[in-house]
Amino acid sequence: MNSWPGPENSWEGVDAYFTSANSEGTLIFWTLLCIALLVLVTALAARHESDTAKKTK
Amino acid sequence: MTLEELEVFVTTQANVAMEAYYWWCTALMIAIHVGFLMYEVGASRYKNAVSSAVKNLLAFAFMIPTFWLFGWYIYLAFPMGFSPIDLEGYGTPWNVSMGPMLSDQATGVFWAAFTLFACTTASVFSGAVLERIRISAFVFLAVILGSVAWILGASWGWHPDGWLVTGFGYHDVGAAGVVHMIAGWFAFGVILNLGPRVGKYNADGSANEIEGHDLRFSFIGLLMIIVGFFGFLGGCLIWAGADFGGWVNIYGAPATLSSFAFNTLMGLAGGMIGAFWMSKGNPFWMMSGGLAGIFSCASGLDVWYPGLAFVLGFVGGVIIIPANNWLHSVFKIDDPVGAVSVHGVAGIWGVIAMGLFASGYPASGDIPPTSFGGQIVGCIVMFLVGFVPGYGISFVMKMMGWLRVPDAVQQAGIDSAELGLRATAQ
Repeated sequence: MNSWPGPENSWEGVDAYFTSANSEGTLIFWTLLCIALLVLVTALAARHESDTAKKTK
Repeated sequence: MTLEELEVFVTTQANVAMEAYYWWCTALMIAIHVGFLMYEVGASRYKNAVSSAVKNLLAFAFMIPTFWLFGWYIYLAFPMGFSPIDLEGYGTPWNVSMGPMLSDQATGVFWAAFTLFACTTASVFSGAVLERIRISAFVFLAVILGSVAWILGASWGWHPDGWLVTGFGYHDVGAAGVVHMIAGWFAFGVILNLGPRVGKYNADGSANEIEGHDLRFSFIGLLMIIVGFFGFLGGCLIWAGADFGGWVNIYGAPATLSSFAFNTLMGLAGGMIGAFWMSKGNPFWMMSGGLAGIFSCASGLDVWYPGLAFVLGFVGGVIIIPANNWLHSVFKIDDPVGAVSVHGVAGIWGVIAMGLFASGYPASGDIPPTSFGGQIVGCIVMFLVGFVPGYGISFVMKMMGWLRVPDAVQQAGIDSAELGLRATAQ
């Protein structure tokens, strides 16, 4: 249990209780991964559309 | 039970009930997206039915993470204009405020309701660009509209510290301007650059009617949208658990859910009947008129006399039809579902009607009372917040070749060309 603030492995003093709440660096990592996935999927969809346009005349 | 125990019990129950209320409003709003999806599938030709649905699904799916990444932060940080206020990280996705906290039962459910408002703006836009926009381009523009443009307008015109609210007494509790105007005029800006579907206009400038493949889908879809708007409008009222006690409107003034019930239904009925009369019984326009009737009353849902709400809705249902015809004949646009008129034009009418018939209503704190001038300023701002990014960004995308499905793919059908499937096995 890696909550913020408060001791680990206890609900005493806990407020934010989600995974990695005590590590801003980890939260930034997951945030950047979300952004990367969104951009990647959009770019791949655009590439598929361009390929389709070339094949459809 | 001691007095202290009773106080804790009441506070806890009030907060849990508040959470549950917004949870179910959010769930009901998903019906809006079921409705838009069915409406657009029915309004599409058979060869584009699946891709129309995919577009709607992706708008929904992309809006949620992007609204978590930056949409909610924009609402909190930009009430003063284009310069963010210092929130010390609050609202950013890597801040503890954007995850489950025991001390905060409100943020998650409010964020969810706002996210569904954002999804609604994207769905409004979706119908206007039917059958000829690239899916990836649509997704990008939907994110710009839903997670940036409309929420910036909401930060200015909905947030209790928004400059339109504190400076001009702008009053728009049901989002006639904040959602419908911005979405409708954003769509208008995009379709000016996108161009019409192949076959919509002849060389001499005359227009052809391109019929959808199954109006039954559209009828049911439009009614589902109306169902979903009860969740949307319910989510526009503030029930802050144990903090305030009863309901307040989004500006902190006293309000009741009953006022929303009276005026939503009366506006809906007025819009349907007005459009029935104006269109000589066209069922498509009757149901669009019902929506326009709701939007015509949206700014003042908390204060209208129900009889006046009916009249406002009636006028809204009447004006959208000539407005749609005028936009098509003057700008040669192709708006297959009349989204610009139903949302953009009825939204203008709703915002202005608040100034015409409900000036002088006090808000809370230092917010000035409602006024005709304040509503006009808000109307101009909401138009610009929608139209400018819609037109400007889609113009750049057009120059990049990343906006319109090529004519050959349109003629072949997007379903078979891009997705490799058909709506049914017929």
